[in-house]
Amino acid sequence: MRWRRWGPPLATVAVALLAWEGLVQLRGLPEYLLPPPSGVLTALGSEWRYLAPHALVTLGEILAGFLLSVLVGIPLAMLIVASPLLERAVYPLLVASQSIPKIAIAPLLIFWAGLGIAPKILVAFLIAFFPVVIDTVVGLRSVEPEMLHLARSMGASPVKVFLKIRFPHALPSVFAGLKVAVTLAVVGAIVGEFIQADRGLGYALLQANAMLNTRLSFATILILAAIGTVLFLLVDWMERLLIPWHASRRLEAAAGTL
Amino acid sequence: MGSRPSLVEVLDVSRAFATPEGEVRALDGVAFDVRAGEFLAIVGPSGCGKSTLTMLIAGLLRPTAGAVRINGRVVDRPQTDLGIVFQNPVLLAWRSALDNVLLQIEMRGLDPRRYREAARQLLGSVGLEGFEHRLPHELSGGMRQRVAICRALIHDPPLLLMDEPFGALDALTRDQMALDIQGLCTRGGKTVLFITHSISEAIFLADRVIVMTPRPGRVDAVVEVALPRPRRLGVREEASFAAYARRVRDRFLAHGVLRDLDGGAGP
Repeated sequence: MRWRRWGPPLATVAVALLAWEGLVQLRGLPEYLLPPPSGVLTALGSEWRYLAPHALVTLGEILAGFLLSVLVGIPLAMLIVASPLLERAVYPLLVASQSIPKIAIAPLLIFWAGLGIAPKILVAFLIAFFPVVIDTVVGLRSVEPEMLHLARSMGASPVKVFLKIRFPHALPSVFAGLKVAVTLAVVGAIVGEFIQADRGLGYALLQANAMLNTRLSFATILILAAIGTVLFLLVDWMERLLIPWHASRRLEAAAGTL
Repeated sequence: MGSRPSLVEVLDVSRAFATPEGEVRALDGVAFDVRAGEFLAIVGPSGCGKSTLTMLIAGLLRPTAGAVRINGRVVDRPQTDLGIVFQNPVLLAWRSALDNVLLQIEMRGLDPRRYREAARQLLGSVGLEGFEHRLPHELSGGMRQRVAICRALIHDPPLLLMDEPFGALDALTRDQMALDIQGLCTRGGKTVLFITHSISEAIFLADRVIVMTPRPGRVDAVVEVALPRPRRLGVREEASFAAYARRVRDRFLAHGVLRDLDGGAGP
């Protein structure tokens, strides 16, 4: 079962790496254009002490931005679903605001929020927060009307209906939003660091590029990819833990036993 | 039976809905009553407002004109002294069969521990013994609907509203469910309003069958079914059963809901 799940992507990566290494070695491409995978791994090993503190800074920004998007996004979605007035007042603006490219306003955010990690967190939050709100609203709304009719015939208070029916019902959708959000938070943190930073992987990446140290650039990107993947898997793992009953989980389980 | 008092009175109820194409009248001057302890079936074609009727009686919808009374009191808010079964079982996917039944208890602020045994027995009485801890997706469609029925009965309500509860089930399951429902409802002295589009289901289960016209829904005919209880499935092949079925079918032919081969409208 594990092999079925992890085997094919790992095999693809292995083939791609071999082809890459072979191409660089055979064609004799210069290092600054494309370093061989072995060179990237060497750089990762030798520059570990340099990269680790930067990685921690970026990881902190990503986590803070993501958590903020959850802490603001989910309650806002609850308010939107609870209040038709608020929905009309806020929801269209929220959707419209998504036409503003966050990257375009990032420099302004840096300008307003100053130096340090705060503006990076802010960019990560702004990018990650939208899917959390939208997917939570969709999830909270997806309860069958008959279920809500039944709840009313049971004389249930709105709080009870929310806690026992609406919120658990929304969880699969909420998690779909969280998965997108955690990936976007990585993008947000890096964009923030690109604009202005003296620490973090985004900063390290710019430095490496400036010095044409392509090995180091690749090593930095590798760490970023690893952070993104691990965070995604963490959310995925939480989803498994919290909603084992969810339909897509069951399909996966069924496929796994084939 | 005529001496029984009315539990539900539907008094000249009309209900219209606003749609993009204009106002649609779902029900038009519907009047009947449901007597205490009686099993009343309402049969009618799709779109005759049968489901609207359930919603009006449950207090989940207001009539445009007329009124509904339960125990003499006008229904002006959602009623809680009843159980409802819809065509869709709407079980909570993360709760076991037993916990889905107990939702009714929890939502009412009662202590679920005190009802566990009753819920277990109720599930057992509809053939779900040993399935109490299964999740809905591990049950068949018929089993899910049985859980929904148990959920509607666990608080022992005097009135049960069933809106096409077998609509999504296969024919064999429907037969078994009809037998189960008969057992559950007639033994407990429940008053049942059972909505269906199946003539034979209505006659098999009911003390009285109300036939509705196509939209806008009106009461077209009331057929008293005097078949002895408990009724076995074989009763459907008896001449008296066929005679009742023909009376209902003739009403549908008369309204063009059904058109027989020769285009005739019945005898």
